[in-house]
Amino acid sequence: MDSMTDTETRPLIKMIKVNKFFGPFQALKNIDLEVYKGEKIVICGPSGSGKSTLIRCINRLEEHNDGNIIIDGIELTDKVEDIDAVRREVGMVFQSFNLFPHMTIAKNLMIAQQLVRKTPKAKAREIAMLYLERVKIPEQADKYPIQLSGGQQQRVAIARALCMRPEIILFDEPTSALDPEMINEVLDVMIDLARDGMTMVCVTHEMGFARSVADRVIFMDAGEIVEQAEPAEFFDNPENERTKVFLNQILSH
Amino acid sequence: MSFDLSLILESLPLMLAGIGITLKLLLVSGFLGLILAVALLLMRISGKFYLDWPAQAYIYVFRGTPILVQIFIIYYGLPQFEAVRDSIFWHILREPTGCAIVALTLNTGAYVSEILRGGVLGVDRGLLEAGSALGMSARHKFVYITTPIATRLSLPAYSNDVISLLKSTALASTITIADMTGIARTIVADTYAPYEIFISLAIVYMIFTLGLQKLFGVIERYLGRYTRRDG
Amino acid sequence: MEVLTGWWDDYFWGAVIVAKVFIASLSLMILFGLIGAGAKLSNSRVAQKIAGAYTVIFRGTPEILVILLLYFGSAILLTSIAQIFNPEIKFVDVPPFWAGTIAISIIVGSYATETFRGAFLGVNPGSIEAARALGMSTLQTFIYIRIPEMWRIALPPFGNHMLSLIKDTALISIIGLNETLFVAKQAITVTGKPFTMYIVVGAIYLGFSSVITLAVMAIEKFGNRTTIDAK
Repeated sequence: MDSMTDTETRPLIKMIKVNKFFGPFQALKNIDLEVYKGEKIVICGPSGSGKSTLIRCINRLEEHNDGNIIIDGIELTDKVEDIDAVRREVGMVFQSFNLFPHMTIAKNLMIAQQLVRKTPKAKAREIAMLYLERVKIPEQADKYPIQLSGGQQQRVAIARALCMRPEIILFDEPTSALDPEMINEVLDVMIDLARDGMTMVCVTHEMGFARSVADRVIFMDAGEIVEQAEPAEFFDNPENERTKVFLNQILSH
Repeated sequence: MSFDLSLILESLPLMLAGIGITLKLLLVSGFLGLILAVALLLMRISGKFYLDWPAQAYIYVFRGTPILVQIFIIYYGLPQFEAVRDSIFWHILREPTGCAIVALTLNTGAYVSEILRGGVLGVDRGLLEAGSALGMSARHKFVYITTPIATRLSLPAYSNDVISLLKSTALASTITIADMTGIARTIVADTYAPYEIFISLAIVYMIFTLGLQKLFGVIERYLGRYTRRDG
Repeated sequence: MEVLTGWWDDYFWGAVIVAKVFIASLSLMILFGLIGAGAKLSNSRVAQKIAGAYTVIFRGTPEILVILLLYFGSAILLTSIAQIFNPEIKFVDVPPFWAGTIAISIIVGSYATETFRGAFLGVNPGSIEAARALGMSTLQTFIYIRIPEMWRIALPPFGNHMLSLIKDTALISIIGLNETLFVAKQAITVTGKPFTMYIVVGAIYLGFSSVITLAVMAIEKFGNRTTIDAK
């Protein structure tokens, strides 16, 4: 575990007793979580367990109702400048890619650099091409998203997040919308990122990925963190009954 | 009863002399109406009730009443007040053409703002979330994500509204304006040949409509270029 | 408003005429729309062409032209027919009520044609296949599957067609139907208060539009209860 060598004493993500409600429905219950620099966390659990809500609170796509969320020393409150600062640190990859359909691939990678980081256009394009190389599709730079396959679009989405040079990347079920034959090309990019020491929080059902990449696997159910452990421990000796049932369901096929 | 072809050939140039006024009504009210529509749209999506509610009330009233009544209120009704006659707007409102443009603008603005709002609401929320996640501000997201996509989404409905506006310009003839319809009505009153005159004029309007549809078709194809796989 | 004293009765009866025109034109509009949609969906090329021309013509021609043409045109037509039987007859008067009612229902019917056609084609073919697979007959499939789903698709645009109809009734005052605008005109010559008189007309129409909007909303809510339950 080479990532543990540069772990700092202060966590990059710290959640303390976080609660989140949608109307009367409690989506998150007393979530406590710490993620250190370079850590790779996989969150799994049945649908509706709150795992997506949890990571969407980290960059404030959802507002938590109480508790504290502190990202690299900045507490998330209503303050817009703080939210902006956190979002500059935290990249996100979505289940449905969410590439801007009216912009070319290169423009998708450049737009936020230009607007948010104030990077000059030529430099932004240079950085965009660098990351497109990295996800192995530089030849698609001047196409529109619809002309790419799902797997290619998701790789572009990862490159788009990387262009902002984030400290942390959140993955919200990045392979769930993909045809089976495209899942691996996306996972390969993620594994590559993990090797480089990127701090990653991934909501995913790809248990093979979890087993080989994660430092910690977290199991959520009904808005709670039920169990968390290193992957070997998690998969081979789950403690909680709910974890066992869940693992049985997804691994029995 | 017979169909008098020579009468058509005689009257058509007379009616076409009104084309300038018809076009002026269409273009000026279309342009001003679009500006009004954007202003109403911004009020409606501002999230502030003191902007949203007046805009809603305005749209409700102007969409809920006939355009002909609106034209009459502005042309015949407003001069009832001395304040209007003394105001700086009087030189617009005392002219029938000015009144027609004001009425058509106010009317089309209400409809178009709802069309634009439909476009804005049609923008995939995920794209705005992606913008947020990249640190884009609300203004940036509106300008670079919402606006281009909403424009494309609302264009088909907008083109229909422009055609409605073209048809509504014919109502200017009810307040003495000599647009194409106004001239046609005068000719029919003289010759009592409604078939020849009105049908040939209807064809002129139809040609206009088809032209507008073609034009918007081209724009739609251009704006929708990124929605086709073949590029 | 003192000036309005004595005019309320006239406005009331004007509004009654508006309501009558609306109800008559609504039935005709549905009829024209169904015929048009049927023709477009039929296998007959000729019927398709005629229906296609119908929608193009009446969506591209100003409403006021259609009304004027039908009113003056049918008067001439009926006069010449009547003269065949009795050369003594100078002129046959066409009631503006019917000329106007038919005109606006033809116009809005051309829009309804597309609505009904779209609703028919919009029914999920999977639902139809599933019904047939379950052994339902063609008629049963039509009644239990197709009609309810079509109705749900067609209702929102159909509501807009009803609003178009009610507002188009105002245009019939141009050919002398004594509805509310006509009443206002008379009241103005007596009182000299055009703004007040036309505002009343606007308010009456706003009332009609509101009733229609609320009715459509209520029906929509009823029609969508299955989709809401599913959530």
